[in-house]
Amino acid sequence: MPIIAKQCGIKFDPPSVVLIYENEHTNKLRKRVMPVRSFSQFSDCSRAAETKHHPRHGRYLDSVSLEQLVRLHTVLRDHLRGLSVEASLREQHRAQAHEEDLNKLGDEELNRCKAQMDVLFEVNRRHKDDPDFVYDLEVEFPENSVRETCSWDQSDEEF
Amino acid sequence: MAGDVKRIPDSEQEKYDSDEQVKIICLGDSAVGKSKLMERFLMDGYRPQQLSTYALTLYKYNTTINGKPVLVDFWDTAGQERFQSMHPSYYHKAHACVMVFDVQRKITYKNLSSWYKELREYRPEIPCLVVANKIDADMRVTQKSFNFAKKQGLPFYFVSAADGTNVVKVFKDAINMALSYKKNSSDFMDVVMRELENFDLEAKEDSGGDDEEEEEEEEEEEGKAA
Repeated sequence: MPIIAKQCGIKFDPPSVVLIYENEHTNKLRKRVMPVRSFSQFSDCSRAAETKHHPRHGRYLDSVSLEQLVRLHTVLRDHLRGLSVEASLREQHRAQAHEEDLNKLGDEELNRCKAQMDVLFEVNRRHKDDPDFVYDLEVEFPENSVRETCSWDQSDEEF
Repeated sequence: MAGDVKRIPDSEQEKYDSDEQVKIICLGDSAVGKSKLMERFLMDGYRPQQLSTYALTLYKYNTTINGKPVLVDFWDTAGQERFQSMHPSYYHKAHACVMVFDVQRKITYKNLSSWYKELREYRPEIPCLVVANKIDADMRVTQKSFNFAKKQGLPFYFVSAADGTNVVKVFKDAINMALSYKKNSSDFMDVVMRELENFDLEAKEDSGGDDEEEEEEEEEEEGKAA
């Protein structure tokens, strides 16, 4: 059965991926709800890949990009964490900006990025004329056993 | 190799062999705050020397360690990092390395491994400090552990060039480590280089800059294999 995916979205309860597609033979629009099983706020959103290669659902999702599925799974997960759809998308957009490799930018673009970063730098900056300025400011961040592993260490390649 | 950046003449770097001078290099991606950290450490006292031909900035710093005057040259990149690689002369004779990433940008953390790899190709033994900069942007990161430093057995610091947290500590530690490295250097390459420098190699004089470079890289290879 040839499938033309029209729209792909999600449903919160139970967490599911919803696909509106057209059956090319019958020209009928159909809706397929694919529950995302054992999904929690701690789930890794690259599990989206599992849905894409699911034995039964997989073929319906052929033309849906993995990026879109990851994005949708992230909204699902963020919902379980109490974030609104808007907040989740905003967070994702921000995270994406953080993925950008500034080494690859030209002078002008790089300077623009640096100027943006400087805004926060100036806000948080302690000047030497500030009354509470300490030149050699040492702060200990004790490493305790419950310290959370940064998610940056979990993904893909090992060091 | 870093584009058309010129090789810094060896004669310029001979001073680092004297006991009173150390060379400390900064490494890390664009816009992680390397220069901001330098400036916060040196405050008003900094005299940056732009060497645009070599795409680097030099900061000179005078200090006294154990009653002895020490001149520290901090080498900072000036755009050369954009090639994701530094010219070999950047590493040449360095006694310590401050390696920086931005806690706001994952890619700068991920790129540490390639910076570290390149560092170790040229300087297998020098002390290297890992610096997580911009913690003022999100203090929650200090609750997390970043495994890169631990895995490589390197000292790790949470810092902020903006509010000054641990900036001075990093550079003081770097200077002390650089000095003790220099004093106790058992680095095979240093020994080899010292031996080699005792010879007046005619071949070296005759060859152009590029050939010299190749020669140096071959030597490094031997050093590693031994």
